[in-house]
Amino acid sequence: MKAFSRRDCLQAMAAAAGMSALAMPGMSFAAQNLVVNTYGGRWEKFWRSDLMPTFMRSAGVETTLDVGLGKNFVANLRAAGVAKPPYSILMVNENIASLVRAEGYFEPIPAAKVPNLANVYPILRNAEDNGVRGIVSTIGIGYRKDLVKTPPKSWSDLWSNPEFKGKIGLYQIGNTAAMLFLLMTAKLYGGSQDAIDRAFTEIKKLLPFTQADWSGTLSTMLTRGDVTVAVIDFPEIVALQKKGVPVEMVVPTEGVLAFEQSFNVLKNASAKEEAYKYLDFILRPDVQEMMAKEFFTSPTNTRSKLPPDLAKDVPVSGDRMKSIFQFDWAKVNPQVAAITDRWNREMK
Amino acid sequence: MSAVMTAEAPPHSSARRKARPGRGAFWLIAPALVLIGVFLVLPYLNIIAMSLRPTAVGAPYGAGFTLGNYAHALGDGYILGVLADTLLLGATTVPICLLLGYPVAYHLARTRSRWGSLLYVLVLSPLLVGVVVRSFGWLILLSGNGVINRVLIDLGLVETGLQLMNNRLGVTVALVHVFLPFMILPLVGVIQSIDPTLEQAARSLGASRLKVFWRLVLPMSWPGIQAGTILVFVLTLSAYVTPVMLGGAQVKTMSVLVVQNLIDNFQWPAGAAQALVLSACGMVAVWVYARLTGRFMKGLQ
Repeated sequence: MKAFSRRDCLQAMAAAAGMSALAMPGMSFAAQNLVVNTYGGRWEKFWRSDLMPTFMRSAGVETTLDVGLGKNFVANLRAAGVAKPPYSILMVNENIASLVRAEGYFEPIPAAKVPNLANVYPILRNAEDNGVRGIVSTIGIGYRKDLVKTPPKSWSDLWSNPEFKGKIGLYQIGNTAAMLFLLMTAKLYGGSQDAIDRAFTEIKKLLPFTQADWSGTLSTMLTRGDVTVAVIDFPEIVALQKKGVPVEMVVPTEGVLAFEQSFNVLKNASAKEEAYKYLDFILRPDVQEMMAKEFFTSPTNTRSKLPPDLAKDVPVSGDRMKSIFQFDWAKVNPQVAAITDRWNREMK
Repeated sequence: MSAVMTAEAPPHSSARRKARPGRGAFWLIAPALVLIGVFLVLPYLNIIAMSLRPTAVGAPYGAGFTLGNYAHALGDGYILGVLADTLLLGATTVPICLLLGYPVAYHLARTRSRWGSLLYVLVLSPLLVGVVVRSFGWLILLSGNGVINRVLIDLGLVETGLQLMNNRLGVTVALVHVFLPFMILPLVGVIQSIDPTLEQAARSLGASRLKVFWRLVLPMSWPGIQAGTILVFVLTLSAYVTPVMLGGAQVKTMSVLVVQNLIDNFQWPAGAAQALVLSACGMVAVWVYARLTGRFMKGLQ
């Protein structure tokens, strides 16, 4: 082997520097086409195989997919700063979007640029259209038909049905669903989402319960009968039913919770017009139906029509969308750290 | 990590050659230095800087600098309890891995069987499957209605399922499974380097098998034991997925708290401080251990 001299090294480094210099225009070019973010697994697959090609065909906009977790997207955003965001449009859970919105990353969406916005359920539109919840997976109660004698009908049954003692599955506090459940308990028992103390008192009455990090773990526990009833998102229950697990979902009488995917246009987006086109595409009635078919999400466009066989797998749609519990995240976000800390200490 | 690297370095690596390396040698290590600088030192400095910022809502961090995050992490009984639990988890995982791993490592190092390579694959197999999948496997085995409990109930050994997970036991079992190869592999290397004829000589001079092991093989394999135990200890301290999945809410480790702060709550300064407290504790533990075992090894020579 030839001895590696200083000159070789310098040449190699120069070459590397040259490569990165060459890559620079490529990166700025990449910013011209739209960067679209989504989650891993089935979401990524669906975006690649269905959504992106359909969008390309109908709008003629090239897209690049960025796959990750909602919270990582926020880290990317913060690392880049308000002035030079890496995305033109961002999809994250509404509670996270609210946090970033408060930091001034987003701006209102002009209704004229996104015609389908007018058909979105009013409950899913933010004030001044600063962000819109475009994809909704509702969360209710799932239970084992074969292991539960009296099926639950309402959230309060979790407290009152003695069959459930020690058999309840909830999420760990890091998951948005646990925060949703806590805020709902505050509303149901304390009259408003601010009755956090009351919520803690009530949820403690449910102890001992099992806490899962995410829906997949709850599914496993329901399948094995380690828990017989769980606060869980309906798409997860439908997936279990399709696998033959004897589970049923209940839309509680008081209302449902929901994972809400919030779509937000960045104030300093490099491809703003394309971002509007993409958002309009996501909100289209037929695209919402496509997503319902794939993920059993509730269509957010009032004009979407679910065929009857699909409607039974999507228990909350149409008029029932009004029954989704809504919370003021701007008031919740400053308390999240304290709530998490208290949950860690008290719920075990 | 740096503590691990120095601890793993052979004790006699101090350069004997007095020959002054040419200036060209510096250029050879330059790419490595750049790599370490950009991807290790800079992020670490950034984390240290972040840990000194005040926490804030509505911004990644507040203005100015503070020691408050450290004061909170070190002054809170709950967090200290979690820290102690984390260190204890490491201190229980390591000896179990050593006890289970040593015989396997010895066999692997000495076997002439055709099946030797298959055994290697078996030892490495936990590393070939993602940690989430492995933890799910344990979830299915250990849960209340899991395979193990079903068997015990069907055999009439217990009436209701035992609590095998959502506690320290479940987490430890899964951690041992995941980290066993990191104990076995350094041991195999060291035991292979012990000349088998030494054992034969000792035997021919009348030493019992136990005595040969105790006086000869075990002391000579100390470098491997030291490397393996430190590796497993450090890995256990930083494990996240396994404690989250098998510990439920009952077993909280420092890395779970750190991730909660960093990822779930966006409390970057608090999370950074807790992460640094954890790594400082880990480094001190490893340093003390390396010093003690280093002295012990010197005594053996």
